[in-house]
Amino acid sequence: MLLHVVNRSPATSRVYQQALAGMSPDDRLLLIEDGVQGALPQLVRYYTGLEGRLFALKEDLESRGLLGRCDASVQVVDVDGFVELTEEAERTVSWY
Amino acid sequence: MATTEIYRYLPVGSRRYGLDPEGYLVDMNDWSPEVAEALAQEEGIELTPEQWEILQVLRDFYARYEMAPAMRPLVKAVGRALGPEKGRSIHLMRLFPGSPAKVAARLAGLPKPTHCL
Amino acid sequence: MQEHHDDSDLLVILRHGPHGSSWLREGLDAALVAAAFGRRVSLLFMGEGVTALLPGQQVGPLGQKGTAATLEMLEMYDIETLLVEEQGLSCLGLSSDDLMLEVACLSPMALARVLCGHRLVLTF
Repeated sequence: MLLHVVNRSPATSRVYQQALAGMSPDDRLLLIEDGVQGALPQLVRYYTGLEGRLFALKEDLESRGLLGRCDASVQVVDVDGFVELTEEAERTVSWY
Repeated sequence: MATTEIYRYLPVGSRRYGLDPEGYLVDMNDWSPEVAEALAQEEGIELTPEQWEILQVLRDFYARYEMAPAMRPLVKAVGRALGPEKGRSIHLMRLFPGSPAKVAARLAGLPKPTHCL
Repeated sequence: MQEHHDDSDLLVILRHGPHGSSWLREGLDAALVAAAFGRRVSLLFMGEGVTALLPGQQVGPLGQKGTAATLEMLEMYDIETLLVEEQGLSCLGLSSDDLMLEVACLSPMALARVLCGHRLVLTF
């Protein structure tokens, strides 16, 4: 299982498509930096099919005032959670 | 990569040629067999036909790929051009002791190979 | 299952075309350095990165070196596994016949497998 990390918003960048293309059925996806916009209910549809495997970084949501606005299907993790996700994965692949 | 800064000059006959801090020609167009001889002398190497044919392989490599090769691709290129007997690192080590890819590139008038330490 | 490749030590993913940025060149440099040190390297061209493989490329308007010569040099560094994202090609209306080098096209499923199959993946 790989952890894929995306730091761009699906509203402005198509990098999310590359991440999705590279994902195996049990891989996880973590949204960080501007990528956390993808956790908004309006944008989360880009990640359809990732239920239970989609994460967003709390600190980046918080600093953007988006923490309370996440879609319920997105699991919010803090930096420690990020580290855990990294440890649970065989490897991490960054998409930026 | 080639630098454009002249660090010192290499005198050859009545002319002098700009070298970068590592002794590579700053202007590749300055290269001539005489310049190669002068550079070889600095390295304590005497250029025999065996060395010259390697320099030619290097110059052909650069003309085609726009880069000076690291050791592995140099060995491969020499093997293709001059046969498997010569396409071996031990042969190149004998002709250009130390670091053959770097030394030979310098004598061939190429920039320093990018992809080796 | 169809195997498109031997798994190598390092997969370098190139997602940018020539001239627009230095990403492509930096990715190629990383691949060449690894190969020069004896690593087995595969390249994966994704998205816009597939345009790096179009024939007829030239120096940039400001005299920037092109990458075509470097791509031709890959075989001298024993980098012979060249993979291309099928979707990246079709997105631009291209096919593998349009490319300057022999490549293996990857379906989305094969692509995910390739990512899993490498110990080290670098994205550029």
